[in-house]
Amino acid sequence: MAGHRSNCIAQAMQLLRLPSSTSRVTVSRAPSHLRPPRTQTRTYATSEEAVSPAAPEIDFSTSSSRSPARIVPASPAYFSGSPRFIDHVLKLEKLQTKYSGLPTMEASEAPRMAWFKLAQFRDFVGEPVPTKKYKSLVKILQRLNRIQPAAVPAEVRSTLESFLRPGNPYAQQLAPPTVDESGRARGRGKRKESSAVVHLVEGEGEILVNGRSLVDVFKRVHDRESALWALRCTQRLDKYNAWINVRGGGVTGQAEAITLATARALLVHEPALKPVLRKAGVISVDARRVERKKPGHVKARKMPTWVKR
Amino acid sequence: MVPSACWNCVLRPRAAATRALLPPSSSAPRVASAPFHSSAAQYAQPAKKKANTQTMMKHRQSMSIRRKKKKPVDRVRPPPVGERKALKKRIVLSNPNALEIEGMADLSAETMSNPSLRGTIMGLPVDKLDQLRAVEAFKPKQSWSLFRRPSTVFRRSTYEMGRLIDQITGDVEGAQQGKVVKKIVTGPKGSGKTVHLLQAMTMAFIKKWVVITVPDARELVSGDTAYSPIEGTNPTQYVQPNATSTLLSRVVKANQDVLAGLRISQQHPALKGLKPGSTLADLAKLGLQDAAVAWPVFQALWTELNATKAAPGVKDEFQPRPPMLVTLDGLAHWMGESVYRAADYTTIHSHDLVFVNHFLSLLTQGQTLGNGGLVLYATSTSNSPSNYSLEVGLDQLAARQEGVKPSSPEYPQPESYSDADPRVMDLFQASMSKDGLLELQTLSGLTRDETRSYVTYFARSGLLREVVNDQLVGEKWSLSGGGVIGELEKVLRRPQLSRPQVATATA
Repeated sequence: MAGHRSNCIAQAMQLLRLPSSTSRVTVSRAPSHLRPPRTQTRTYATSEEAVSPAAPEIDFSTSSSRSPARIVPASPAYFSGSPRFIDHVLKLEKLQTKYSGLPTMEASEAPRMAWFKLAQFRDFVGEPVPTKKYKSLVKILQRLNRIQPAAVPAEVRSTLESFLRPGNPYAQQLAPPTVDESGRARGRGKRKESSAVVHLVEGEGEILVNGRSLVDVFKRVHDRESALWALRCTQRLDKYNAWINVRGGGVTGQAEAITLATARALLVHEPALKPVLRKAGVISVDARRVERKKPGHVKARKMPTWVKR
Repeated sequence: MVPSACWNCVLRPRAAATRALLPPSSSAPRVASAPFHSSAAQYAQPAKKKANTQTMMKHRQSMSIRRKKKKPVDRVRPPPVGERKALKKRIVLSNPNALEIEGMADLSAETMSNPSLRGTIMGLPVDKLDQLRAVEAFKPKQSWSLFRRPSTVFRRSTYEMGRLIDQITGDVEGAQQGKVVKKIVTGPKGSGKTVHLLQAMTMAFIKKWVVITVPDARELVSGDTAYSPIEGTNPTQYVQPNATSTLLSRVVKANQDVLAGLRISQQHPALKGLKPGSTLADLAKLGLQDAAVAWPVFQALWTELNATKAAPGVKDEFQPRPPMLVTLDGLAHWMGESVYRAADYTTIHSHDLVFVNHFLSLLTQGQTLGNGGLVLYATSTSNSPSNYSLEVGLDQLAARQEGVKPSSPEYPQPESYSDADPRVMDLFQASMSKDGLLELQTLSGLTRDETRSYVTYFARSGLLREVVNDQLVGEKWSLSGGGVIGELEKVLRRPQLSRPQVATATA
């Protein structure tokens, strides 16, 4: 942009100087809006005035009425802080309004697109774009992406593609876990320091944890309930047998690791239960771990008591 | 610019001047005015110096806050001695707020071996409750106080025991009549071992058996009761007179009717105070009055109850003795050293206590009860010392029951260099020397049907406000580790906060 700008000005300056050297040179090369008005062209050479042929009569009706009175930048957003970004936004908004009538689909069904990450986008436009503004741009992109594939105009498609990260991160799909030949589904879950592996088979509701009864492992009824919550909230407790191995951590952590593992194993059997399980809060991973102790602190954050002397 | 005097002052300068000379009238209300006037501040009393500021404190004085010392509060008197323990040990058998369940069958001579009633809840007969209390069949923390009246699940094992008791009594044709059946009852925590003993006692009372119980094995070896060596025994045996006296009182109280109907048929030269022709109840009461003779009295009572015919020289006609039920709870306590000390300060092995030894000898082979009966010894999981020898012994028993020969390598043996108690191992060896003598009965969880009737029982008692369906039953069954009844009770008595809807229970 900067290069373009300097070029424009240089051209204009050159044009301004032209009549002094060769008055006959036509100025038709320059774009109309950059062409200087002819009324302002004057020469200081008086000696040759009589010899040189007179300038053609200015026709005010045709050219001068349309030409601007000053140099106008190429982009209307030239004087804003981030003209290229704004150009992109305006372009996308224009597209959005233009094709707002096209049929759309659910956001969850729309093809998954790897838009530029913020840092990449900043490199792309060469301007410092704030996070919030980039988010609003991505919002427009997502709205355009929701247009049904059959109805997407070529213009929209090419525009959207220009905002994609190089390479296709979503090309490699993990194979969905399946039930093995014995009818077992396997799920792993972690919570705090515990990790659990659950093998879920269709059955009568018999549960063994580390080869022992559930009652032996979890003395508290609360822990038992939380361990089996995925099965309980979907009313599948009497339809599956579970063989559970759990290691590490304490009782609560083990119970909640089992919760997560059971939910994942259950999803292998019945993927349609996902919204129910999500609502029951057994799919979301609780990634919190114990915060480390820091030097100079008593615990992770606690500071020693302030003493005057 | 603000003028220095207000309009009022400008208009009446003389009045203001005269007033300034006068002292401020205390009666005139002082009106708060803007700092426009300086007079209000001038007339004000000199400001009192603030006390307690730090600047006023002398040097080298304590800066800490002085608090008034609290007067010692009169404490409420602690409950009298024994009150707290009594409260802890109190057994409440009924709850008038619980709903009564209509159509609930009672355990009786007809129902106790009725296979069609399997899996139902059956009430304990009301007229037997006093006897059951006397033998300490109920334990605190068994949640009897949740329901209108005590009742138990008529499980498969209960039904089998009812049939067995019928057979031993001779009411039903079978080879078991007059035989002794010895069982050790085990199972995971909360699986109903103690209640199994309770059901056995109820059935025995119904069948007019003599019931002898040791409700807590720990009390005999934990140093709670007095003990004294028996002279002339080698190795020295020890007698526990007070514990024996308590045992006799339980026996008399619970079996009053049976014992009062039986007359002595043997010679008891050791008991001087015993008149010929007195009843067994009179005999047992001798031990109640004097703890010193409790052990000889118990031995005499034992011979009387196991007698099959009258001794020569006794004139009275011999009355046939009923079968006997002997129960014990907490077997593990008796499988090691006791906390009693001998004269040389060595620990006394629990098998050297004659009381303990007497009851353990019932497990060994042979017709240990003369008129037949049932010996039921239960292990305890809520109060049990870890006991390796007992574990091995029970494993051997289980292997024996599955048909593993003692000579085979699969037969469980104590680990080398493990300090397995040789006397305990000998006891199990002696009790297993012949097949089918000592049995191991392992209780586990309820079946689905039994669970269903148990859940329904809660619902009909008004403790569970949910629709009882397969799903609910399955859920509770899984949460209780496969229908372990103690855990099931814990799960069911929890307030059901997650499901607010109130529904009628389907019976």
